[in-house]
Amino acid sequence: MNAHSSHEENTAVRGHVEMRDIGMQFKVKGSTVDAVAGVSIDVKPGEFVSLIGPSGCGKSTLLNVAAGFVKPSAGDALLDGIRIERPGADRGVVFQQYSLFPWMTVRKNVEFGLKIQGVSASERETKARTLLGLAGLLHFENHYPEQLSGGMKQRVGIVRALSVSPQVLLMDEPFGALDSQTRVVMQEILTNMWQRLRISVLFITHDIDEAIFLSDRIYVMTARPGRIKSEIVVPLPRPRTAAMTSTPEFTNLVHTIKGLIREESLAAMGGELHEGGLVGLSTEVGPRGMGELV
Amino acid sequence: MRIASILDANTHVANDPLIKVASNFHAPRVAEMASRLHAAASEVTSNTVSASVFTAPALNLATPVARPKSQEGAKVAVAGRFWLWVSSQWLAWLLAVASIGAVILIWHLATRYKLDFYVRFNNIPGPAEVWGKVLEVNRSPKFITNIGISVRRILLGFFVATALGVGLGLLIGRYRWVRLSSMPALEVFRPIPAIAWVPMSIMLWPSNEVSIVFITFLGAFFPILLNTIHGVEAVDPVLLRAARSLGARERTLLFEVIMPAALPHIFTGLAVGMGVAWVSLIAAEMISGQFGIGYFTWEAYSLISYSEIALGMITIGILGLLCSGVIRCTARLAMPWIERSPGGAQP
Repeated sequence: MNAHSSHEENTAVRGHVEMRDIGMQFKVKGSTVDAVAGVSIDVKPGEFVSLIGPSGCGKSTLLNVAAGFVKPSAGDALLDGIRIERPGADRGVVFQQYSLFPWMTVRKNVEFGLKIQGVSASERETKARTLLGLAGLLHFENHYPEQLSGGMKQRVGIVRALSVSPQVLLMDEPFGALDSQTRVVMQEILTNMWQRLRISVLFITHDIDEAIFLSDRIYVMTARPGRIKSEIVVPLPRPRTAAMTSTPEFTNLVHTIKGLIREESLAAMGGELHEGGLVGLSTEVGPRGMGELV
Repeated sequence: MRIASILDANTHVANDPLIKVASNFHAPRVAEMASRLHAAASEVTSNTVSASVFTAPALNLATPVARPKSQEGAKVAVAGRFWLWVSSQWLAWLLAVASIGAVILIWHLATRYKLDFYVRFNNIPGPAEVWGKVLEVNRSPKFITNIGISVRRILLGFFVATALGVGLGLLIGRYRWVRLSSMPALEVFRPIPAIAWVPMSIMLWPSNEVSIVFITFLGAFFPILLNTIHGVEAVDPVLLRAARSLGARERTLLFEVIMPAALPHIFTGLAVGMGVAWVSLIAAEMISGQFGIGYFTWEAYSLISYSEIALGMITIGILGLLCSGVIRCTARLAMPWIERSPGGAQP
């Protein structure tokens, strides 16, 4: 754990994530491949920031750097001015895959991080139950993860990440595996929880609507090697409601970001965008990438 | 690796002179040792095979039923589930009784009419004779003492194998340098069947008793070790990342994440290890023992007491069955998150 982890109330003065000129290279069969190059982003205290971009642009790599799971080949990642060296309880992580410990009940999962911090059993229970109540999961505290639906598992995952009062929440396509109805509900739950906790969030997604609905700011990334293509401020008021998704403001934003990503997806596939349609799209490319992104 | 250990067991049975299966793919040294083996081993081997299909979800024969959604409903639901379980099980029970009954019936008929079609039943005792023997041997404490001694040897060998196998398996699975430094040496010993250790073991250890326990240990050790290593390797990396991001350090990772995550594999290793331990024990007792159920069976052969041979075999089968049953029950209690048994412990 780093020095920040004992920080109790989130007054949104901490949790400032800065990434400066992050570069990430992988060695593939002797040659080096740039996954990410010269990316600088920041998440200000209490801010909700999304990273969006085509598949394979290194979004998850950036999150893994922020989490401390991997070290960048170049650049610095800082949390409140302190260099991120390894994973720690000051940064909560929510994964795309279900990551609950299957041998623990829901409540024990939530208590795991608190137990490591040496919190007493009764205090752990109180805190876990409070958080589970917030997420509407109190009835399931004694269930095993296997007995929960996908959406419930991810809610427990979020609650577990929040249990240790992190400075920032790092979310790697947390709703990617859920069906679209559940996804929308989860987005509303998340935006409500964030509204109360006012914690900094770095959110990775490839879903444009999701990014706009949740975020204060959105970074759009280029195709590999991933760079920041543009930064978009979402002017929608808080608290966000489902009704906002049909306002002209919202749909204009969707349209803008769609255009940005579409250029990148096509660039990644070796095609060019001309007025009136696609020209010169490489024939090797299947329809899958298009369907996913456009 | 599970299959490998079963193959080990099978090859020994294949050397059995009583069932006259010629085998020429063995080194003469091993063949000589193994030639003293007995048909009894096949009884135990079948246990080993059934143990190998042991995976936790497959344990549960009962059809899954709805779990109570709240604790208030739990009591009612447990009773309801029990009845569901009974009603879903009666056919299974009926078939179980019928299948065992059929074996006894065929055995009875074959010995009654002294069947002789290549396999000869002329000298084989019938079920009634063996039952008579059961009553006879229980008049003196000798028989039950033999059983007690065998069980003690199994427990000692098995527990040492569990402690070392799981402990070492966790370290080898987790740390590359432990693996690189210890696996080559272990791989040299692994292909040597426990039974081939009998002469060496007698020379090595101060007493006959310890050498038999050692051979039992060897039989159980490798299946437990290899399954534990496999279990550690199979731990989902996302669980480790999740734990580390919650502040877990190495010690917590090893004992509170990796070990429970590997538990299903560890129990597979225990079940297989228990089967191989019995194979090894019986062989060791037949070759070098003075007591024990394996010795009892071999002595009966020397004394041409046919019904005692059959009694020894059946006893070994029942003991093996009980031991794997104990492991299954322990597995269910230790892993309540895996398809809990109806009416079983609620967390």
